[in-house]
Amino acid sequence: MSPRPRLVVALVVGSLLAVFLAYQALFNSGTLLVSVAQLRSDADGAAQKRVTLTGTVVRASRTSDPMRFVLRDESSAQTVAVSYRGSVPDAFKTSRRVIVTGRLENGVFVAQPDSLLTKCPSKYSSGGS
Amino acid sequence: MTTLGRVAVYLVFALAAYAAVGAVVAGLRRDRRVMRSVRNAFAAAFVSALVAIAALEYGLVTNDYSLSVVFEHTSRNLPLVYKMTSLWASQEGSLLLWLTVLTGAAGIVMYQNRHRNRELVPWVAAVLGGIAVFFAGLAAFVSSPFAHVPGAVPADGSGLDPSLQNPYMAAHPPMLYLGYVSMAVPFAFAMGALITRRTDARWLVSVRRWTLVSWTALGIGMLLGAHWAYVEIGWGGYWAWDPVESAALMPWLAATAFLHSVMVQEKKGMLKVWNMVLVIAAFSLCIFGDFLTRSGVVQSVHSFVQSAVGPWLLGFLAVVLAASISLLIVRLPTLRADHKLESVVSREATFLFNNLLLLALAFAVLWGVVFPILSEAARGVRATVATPYYDFFLVIFGLPLLALTGIGPLIAWRRASPGSLWRTFRWPVISGLAGGAFLALLGLGSSPAGLTALSLCVFVTVTIGMEFARGTAARRAIAGGSWPRALRDLVNRNRRRYGGYVVHLAIVLLVVGVTASSAYSSVDEANLGVGQSMRIDGYTLRNTGLFQRRGPNYRLEYVRLQVYKGGKPDGILEPGLRQYDTGQVGNEVDIRSSLLTGTDLYSILQAPDRNGSGVSVKVLVNPAVGLVWLAGVVFALGALITIWPDPREARQLARRYGELLARSEA
Repeated sequence: MSPRPRLVVALVVGSLLAVFLAYQALFNSGTLLVSVAQLRSDADGAAQKRVTLTGTVVRASRTSDPMRFVLRDESSAQTVAVSYRGSVPDAFKTSRRVIVTGRLENGVFVAQPDSLLTKCPSKYSSGGS
Repeated sequence: MTTLGRVAVYLVFALAAYAAVGAVVAGLRRDRRVMRSVRNAFAAAFVSALVAIAALEYGLVTNDYSLSVVFEHTSRNLPLVYKMTSLWASQEGSLLLWLTVLTGAAGIVMYQNRHRNRELVPWVAAVLGGIAVFFAGLAAFVSSPFAHVPGAVPADGSGLDPSLQNPYMAAHPPMLYLGYVSMAVPFAFAMGALITRRTDARWLVSVRRWTLVSWTALGIGMLLGAHWAYVEIGWGGYWAWDPVESAALMPWLAATAFLHSVMVQEKKGMLKVWNMVLVIAAFSLCIFGDFLTRSGVVQSVHSFVQSAVGPWLLGFLAVVLAASISLLIVRLPTLRADHKLESVVSREATFLFNNLLLLALAFAVLWGVVFPILSEAARGVRATVATPYYDFFLVIFGLPLLALTGIGPLIAWRRASPGSLWRTFRWPVISGLAGGAFLALLGLGSSPAGLTALSLCVFVTVTIGMEFARGTAARRAIAGGSWPRALRDLVNRNRRRYGGYVVHLAIVLLVVGVTASSAYSSVDEANLGVGQSMRIDGYTLRNTGLFQRRGPNYRLEYVRLQVYKGGKPDGILEPGLRQYDTGQVGNEVDIRSSLLTGTDLYSILQAPDRNGSGVSVKVLVNPAVGLVWLAGVVFALGALITIWPDPREARQLARRYGELLARSEA
């Protein structure tokens, strides 16, 4: 009894696809990506769950632990305070655009450790991570 | 110089357009004189591209701040070498680099094939010319590297980002460009083969080395980037599933699949359509990778503001996909397989499964990268996927792939009998199981995926070791001589096969390194006052004081940590923070690597002591991470063995495809 090759290949393709779809259905709907304004206005329930937040750094102090900084919306004057622990990218400073993951707790965005990414200031730069 | 540079870019555009049109004419009329002229046009285009680069370099080195590229990416106090490498810090400058590599590659292809592939080459030239026209057009009309700063010439430039002032800047981006660009050659040959209906294995033979060059450059480029991130960016890791990292990984995966399935087509005349699909996918993913870095459509550490070339690249990608796929569909009848797949327990089938897994992995990565765009289109909200998503698919598709790495090279073509399977694989399987059991006893069962990966690594290593041992013994039985000599002869007589095994060995090292350093690493953070200490994984680190030092354009604050292991002093770590005069802050991590175990003790100063609560430090123990870098060296070695010119192989091919060579010599 030898299995028919075509059938087996089809089954393999099918199972790869099934794994992929099952993962999408079970675990993953992604993390919402929001601006400061969307977080403030609770768009799509952004203020109630874990989201990825983008904004511009307006005030930052590296002395406190956890570190504190304030993010401003990129197209309005709304701001939110962020509390963050973990490694800080080299390019982090005021006026930089950053991405950070966490959730809003009592008006302060509590970030997950090591989730801070800096968006690059230059128009295009290659290299680094 | 600016005018010279601008003229040179226009010239590249004109020459590429001439080459593309001329090549079509040469192809239709089979005119060798026109073809000779096309060849010269590519050579001239390459020289012009070099002139353009030289002109821009001149501007960079002589601080010509009237050029906006120079103004935006350099400053007077920048060291000379970084002024030069900032050529590819800008998008406009990197376009020039891209053009130079592309025209250079086209020139080499034309020269290599001046007496070969007479029917195919004009169409190859037409496709390469078309690609060069597009990129030269971008540099000439859309995003000129020689654009001027509006208004008065500034006195000083705005400077290069500190993270780009690094020796890796000289190696990592050009390596990736080489990889992206040289993938155009296999693509052009594939299209040429479809147009001329010469869809047998000859085009594959002609592009094997080009695919290997591209694939090797992408692989080494990625590892260089990973090492750069590890020692400079300073979060303790080397790969973060950043979209731009993924951008290089996807074509590499597609090219890996292609390199394997090519063997099936050469040996068995199967998978012809599949190979075309893989080449189209690999090249399209290269263009897509370029698009990702430039367009800012996805959040990434690398790319950000919308740039003018984004839509153009997307348009180009659409044209490439539409044209190549319709050509493939029209030519489907010429791509019938010579043989059928006889059994799922055969080398053909194993290679096919390896291909499916590689593509599935590439697809999962692609899905993750474009997820924000898809979710916005489908659900109206932007969402991203993070590391767990990628790690899941790396494990679920990667582990079977690793098993196939051991099975594929040894299993029989056509059909393997149960008896032969047992004879071939009993020792590797037994070693893998025994290795797994041993590692489980050591307590590595804490990560089932990690334990599986390491056991599979033992399995694959034993299969490779047996192949080398068996081959060397056979060689020695035939030719006599010493063992090392027999080994050298063995590799020399079949570079492709044994180079491939060396690359497989590199993959094993990489898997061990990645598995150990991710599944079995330890991390800890602490606030340490002077005299206080922390423990991690058998190490004790004691804060012996905070120090300061002045650098050329920064102030460095660093903490001195005395390391103890087993109660005995074991070196010093000095992680610090650079406070640049411009207000930026840079991590200065300190890593202590053990050459013996490859284990790194990695320290980051997170915040210096400002309010008396002690310095905040983060320490990681990354076991066997050194193997990741060693894997890069072995990978390069294996790739070099397979790429190295081989007169024996050339003779064999001449015999197999002699009729082709004879005809083209006529």
